[in-house]
Amino acid sequence: MKIIEYLSRLDRRIIYLVLATVVMVPLVIPTVPRVRVMTPVEKLFNAVEAIPNDQILMLDFDYDPQTLPEIEPMGVAMLRHAFHRRTKVAVLSLYVQPLGLAKKALDQVTEEFNSRATSYEDSIIYGRDYVFLGWQPPPIVPLLGMGISIVDVYQRDYYGYRTDSLPMMQRVKNFNDVGILVSLSGATAPLWWIAYSQTRFGVAVGAGITAVSASEFYQYYQTGQFSGLMIGMKGAAEYEEMVQSRLSITSRRKASEALGSLTAAHLTMIAFIVVGNIGYFIRKRKEKGVQR
Amino acid sequence: MKRRFPLLLVFFFGLLGIIPYFVPHGGYQDFDNALRNDFIRILSAFAIILGLVSLLRVHQDKIKRKRENWQYSYVLIIGFVVSGAIGLFGGIEGELFLPTKIAGFQFDIQTLYLNIIVPLGATMFALLAFFMASASYRAFRARSLESSLLLSAAFIIMIGVLPLADSISSHLPSFAQWIMDIPNVAAKRGITFGIALGGIATSLKIILGIERSWLGGKE
Repeated sequence: MKIIEYLSRLDRRIIYLVLATVVMVPLVIPTVPRVRVMTPVEKLFNAVEAIPNDQILMLDFDYDPQTLPEIEPMGVAMLRHAFHRRTKVAVLSLYVQPLGLAKKALDQVTEEFNSRATSYEDSIIYGRDYVFLGWQPPPIVPLLGMGISIVDVYQRDYYGYRTDSLPMMQRVKNFNDVGILVSLSGATAPLWWIAYSQTRFGVAVGAGITAVSASEFYQYYQTGQFSGLMIGMKGAAEYEEMVQSRLSITSRRKASEALGSLTAAHLTMIAFIVVGNIGYFIRKRKEKGVQR
Repeated sequence: MKRRFPLLLVFFFGLLGIIPYFVPHGGYQDFDNALRNDFIRILSAFAIILGLVSLLRVHQDKIKRKRENWQYSYVLIIGFVVSGAIGLFGGIEGELFLPTKIAGFQFDIQTLYLNIIVPLGATMFALLAFFMASASYRAFRARSLESSLLLSAAFIIMIGVLPLADSISSHLPSFAQWIMDIPNVAAKRGITFGIALGGIATSLKIILGIERSWLGGKE
């Protein structure tokens, strides 16, 4: 009994230490567990798979450093998927802060593909296979403006090139040329694409979001407004699993590697809550006994 | 006039924002497009400048009056000027005329971002996990039927999203998904309808000049 009582009054520094240890150990010795792919992620994968040759994948990178570990693997996995099937990609951000992270993901995946490429045709070329549109404030401008003309909204890309001079943009006019727009966000950006762009122009929208904000998005997924969803680290790992199992791309899977930490952290927190509750009930029983 | 003019502006531009959803005429759509692409962008550019100037003035004032933690304002101003200069004159990866590499030490804007902002932001957010663990240990108690239900649902979701859920029971991930798909959506949809109706009512009140608190000051 004394042990339980002691455990139910643990010093917070011990909690911090235990949590830090269980999170760090699986990161030091990473393993990739087998992940069961749930329907929302499978639907998103299939939606990207179904993009016709004359349409593009539009990726909205709207996460910041705070949510990077959860969302970045989604972006990387989606870029790998698109580049593998030679779907052209347009990348943008509704805010300024994610631009550096979008560039990092783009650089990483293009480097991966180009290091394996054997010819110019095989390579992933800027302007031909993908464009980085950058940032245009305020968000309402791209959300609605791209329904009319993408090059009018983004007259210059992130690097300062005129977008109408890029080969890929010669046949990409507006949302009619976008197979699906996937918003990767730590906040509510995917809902804006639904509220403004989809409602008015009918563009298909998918989302990659943090686990903590997932409950906000399910209602739009259930109505079919989101073509698919990736939720948190697990969602990213599921997409990585599909990219590997269906497309045989065997690059590093950061979200899958982090699942060990996630599992340990969840189980530790559950254990702490259970111990805390046991202590609570023991104290309650004792207090009742004293009252009697 | 001082109060009537902003009200007229809000009424006029509020209607301009609503009309394109109901008038598909090409001419009006073109006008709406020009309004959004040109006018809003110009306004937004001014708003950014205004925001930046305001931020600097607030911190300048803080230093001048030696308000609490005034020393940190120097960090903000120095960071603002240095990163602004590097970004404007050095480019994203040092492609402009300002040198952003000295003897192997790189300090272009992308390098600074990836090596300062990203670790700082990630660290701040990572700390949350520790506070959450400590708080849930102390406060997450099965005190009533409602809190017990919440606790059970939380456990099912927390375990259901893990890869090991399948090894406990093949139904566990599906059950966790069901909780998110049905009870969660039912509750969230009710809340969303409430928020949406409230939003529409408040917007109409603002456009029609009934709600004026945004003007500030006395009635």
